[in-house]
Amino acid sequence: MWDVTTETSRIRNFCIVAHIDHGKSTLADRLLEATHTVADRDMRAQYLDKMDLERERGITIKAQSVRLLHDGYELNLIDTPGHVDFTYEVSRSLEACEGAVLLVDAAQGLEAQTLANYHLARDAGLVIVPALNKIDLPAAEPEQRTKELANLLDCEPSEILHISAKSGEGVDELLAAVIDWVPPPVGDATAPLQALIFDSMFDPYRGVITYVRVQQGVLPSRARIKMFATRVESEAEETGVNAPEPTPVPDLGPGEVGYLVTGLKDVHQAKVGDTITLAGKLGANEPLPGYREPRPMVWSGLFPADGGDYADLRDALDRLKLSDAALHFEPETSQALGFGFRCGFLGLLHMDIVKERLEREFDLELIATAPNVEFHVFRGDEMTIVHNPAEMPPGGDHDRVEEPVVYATIITPAEYLGAVLGLCQERRGELVDMSYLTPERVEVHYVLPMAEIVFDFFDQLKSGTRGYASLDYEPWGYQEANLVRVDVLLHGEPVDAFSTIVHRDKAYTYGKQMTERLKELIPRQLFDVAVQAAIGSKIIARETVKAKRKDVLAKCYGGDITRKRKLLETQKKGKERMRRVGRVDVPQEAFIQALRVDDGGSAKVKK
Amino acid sequence: MNSTAGIYVHMPFCLTRCGYCDFNAYAGLDGLKPRYLRALEREARLAAPSWDGAEIASVFLGGGTPTTMDPEDLGALLRTLRTSFDVAVDAETTIEANPDTVEEATLAGLQEAGYSRLSMGAQSFDPAVLRALERLHAPENVRRAFHAARAAGYSNVNLDLIYGAHGETLESWERTLGETIALAPEHVSAYALTIEPATPLGRAVARGDVPAPDPDVQADMFQLACSMLRDAGYGHYEISNWARPGYECRHNLGYWRRQPYVGLGAGAHSYRDDRRWWNVRPPEEYLTTVERGELPVGGEERLDPGDAYLEEVFLRLRILEGVPSSWIEDGRADPYVASGLLLDDGGALVPTERGMLLLNELVLGLGAGGAARTPL
Repeated sequence: MWDVTTETSRIRNFCIVAHIDHGKSTLADRLLEATHTVADRDMRAQYLDKMDLERERGITIKAQSVRLLHDGYELNLIDTPGHVDFTYEVSRSLEACEGAVLLVDAAQGLEAQTLANYHLARDAGLVIVPALNKIDLPAAEPEQRTKELANLLDCEPSEILHISAKSGEGVDELLAAVIDWVPPPVGDATAPLQALIFDSMFDPYRGVITYVRVQQGVLPSRARIKMFATRVESEAEETGVNAPEPTPVPDLGPGEVGYLVTGLKDVHQAKVGDTITLAGKLGANEPLPGYREPRPMVWSGLFPADGGDYADLRDALDRLKLSDAALHFEPETSQALGFGFRCGFLGLLHMDIVKERLEREFDLELIATAPNVEFHVFRGDEMTIVHNPAEMPPGGDHDRVEEPVVYATIITPAEYLGAVLGLCQERRGELVDMSYLTPERVEVHYVLPMAEIVFDFFDQLKSGTRGYASLDYEPWGYQEANLVRVDVLLHGEPVDAFSTIVHRDKAYTYGKQMTERLKELIPRQLFDVAVQAAIGSKIIARETVKAKRKDVLAKCYGGDITRKRKLLETQKKGKERMRRVGRVDVPQEAFIQALRVDDGGSAKVKK
Repeated sequence: MNSTAGIYVHMPFCLTRCGYCDFNAYAGLDGLKPRYLRALEREARLAAPSWDGAEIASVFLGGGTPTTMDPEDLGALLRTLRTSFDVAVDAETTIEANPDTVEEATLAGLQEAGYSRLSMGAQSFDPAVLRALERLHAPENVRRAFHAARAAGYSNVNLDLIYGAHGETLESWERTLGETIALAPEHVSAYALTIEPATPLGRAVARGDVPAPDPDVQADMFQLACSMLRDAGYGHYEISNWARPGYECRHNLGYWRRQPYVGLGAGAHSYRDDRRWWNVRPPEEYLTTVERGELPVGGEERLDPGDAYLEEVFLRLRILEGVPSSWIEDGRADPYVASGLLLDDGGALVPTERGMLLLNELVLGLGAGGAARTPL
């Protein structure tokens, strides 16, 4: 059992903020070792990343906290999610800390995510412990990077620690700096309980487990608790800390970080950012500030490749939703793809993760429509929210449309600045400002339509800068734009799955690209098939799939008959698997290929 | 059992292997020929008792290249078949020939041995096309071999043609058809080149070294063959086969009318009463099995009524006899008739020239390939 009477003066709550691949998980591993929190024989790489997907992609999706004991101090390391999709979750994790280790790769230097997270941490009032990592790499440029970092933080170069998370060099000094520099939490144990939820997960055996930071008051192991935002009450079953395996404690006092088995069965009742207090008279009157409902930024239709799997897909989404409060879905019917769901995600990575989990954990084969953002369509004073192109009035039957924009931070080597500016202009960006971090590296800020980010922006940015530029962004409200719905028609029949909403200037490009792509993907039929793209009734692009003329085998003698029959049977099965659009047979594969946005977006973030 | 049947004899020997061919044929196995002939005779005697009562209306020696064998040996083989099976006196007896392996003396020998129909693999009269097919013979050899066949007394000769190889143009194909017609064979088979994956040509296409045949060009070539051969007096009686009246190949018609046949030799297929079975393919394995006194069956399949119905439908369509419209669900044939792929010929649905090229579509569109709808 842990000593629960830890003086708040001996507690340090901190997190590590870093750009992807700058060594956050490796540093967490070293800290677990250096403080003997994990025995050597139990150690494995990326110890805190629990999901296979997290390890594979080298990113953290769920926030974890782990308690380290060092020199008589209780150090709570809160591992923050490492992706722009989870900015809000990151901000809640930061609220649970007093300090942040700002970890920067000594070869790569500052990146967009470093800056974005640094600004979040600073705004949250955290003390920054700057550290250059990977100083033992041959490509490291410690002097240059130290200068860059000192510039950003407005501090002396001597204050920047040099470490190698891989070898462990400098890790003890880093621990000492955390203890010395990060202030202890303050909080009144006698005040009414306020505990911030910074992560929430669903355990099939124990129900909803939240990770909490107690701001004031005491959270007892078993108590009747109340969630402010959802007004749900419950009998909490256990408090504990990860050390690193879950270890029960009698209670969590002010400033302490740990988990709470809430007794709830649905993560939507205990959302990230909400405040837990005690039910009844002893409870606090006010929640902690800053709670926000998770809002999907990106939408996509998910359809089972085999229509018979619809019920399985629904069950799988229900199951995922138990542990993913940010996932939205509603039934959707497509003429082309049958029954499925329109799903809302925090971003492209979140979308990829959900798709991948559905396919891997639930063994479903899916067809996903092109991702789109949420539009505001105005007609007079009436505003309609549209997150499915099919709901967009065709051909200008509305007054105006607004689209979401983001405030994007891009960091690029100066030699690629032209390419970056060109890309952002082409993507309808508005330059906010730019500044040189060093003579070689530039920080650029743009307001960009989210729709452009969703459409292969990241890949284009990477390829235009040979992989050197980095990107981070945050929601920045809505802006009016000249947007139109482009439909794709096969033999005169619109294929709803291919409809999309684009800027008018890009409608032709999109239409041409889709018709050309479909021309290659749609097998020849017994008649010429027109493949058209249209805005309303106006055709903007057209291709023709010429009628098929020959599909017969030339020879058919004694031994060929069996082969020929089997070929016909295979062909018949293939035909049965096709979807019919009007008179046109379209194979599944054509939908999947045609809908594949060549971005992979966040899927390739790791590279 | 009283029925007519055919005998197919497979000769797996070739001078060289052609890049497009996926038949069970080998170059360089000539040393096996004497054993192989003995094994064929033994297999014939082993198989014959179960074909008691079947009158053999045709014998077909295919391969491979049967004409790489000695005519006298082939004569002895035919005599063994006649003593083992009930071969009709007027049975059609065909032997396949490679223009490079026949001279007048050989052909006279074959005629004397009892092979009265000759099927010659001309393939093309365009040297470039022959090279693309890796055929070694020159166009002159075909003409010479053909005249030699006539001189040897052959009055029933087929020329095999292949169209659509890389580099062949419609004009070149027209010349090949013209040359063929000028020789005036009794029978012409013209096949669209089909790329078989497990051949050198198939691999070259897969690698992208050689373009796959353009199906639209092959369709044009097919239609050109239809019109030129029709104008020259040939009747079109199967998708890839044309003949002067009365010279249709009885043996092949037997396959297409689902009549029984017995296959002898490595990899040969047999069929009777909705059962199809086949011999082991490797010649060595074939030999040792037969030499142990066993039938060299390598596998079999039994057709369920659905399979049999599907075969019946596509074979009837192939030989242009058509499918009785009473077999087809109401309305299913209408779009095909309307679009000119099928003709409703007094209660039988017969493919048009365009329909023949889209036969797979027709078969599936008419609803075959599901359960049997008509008892056969």
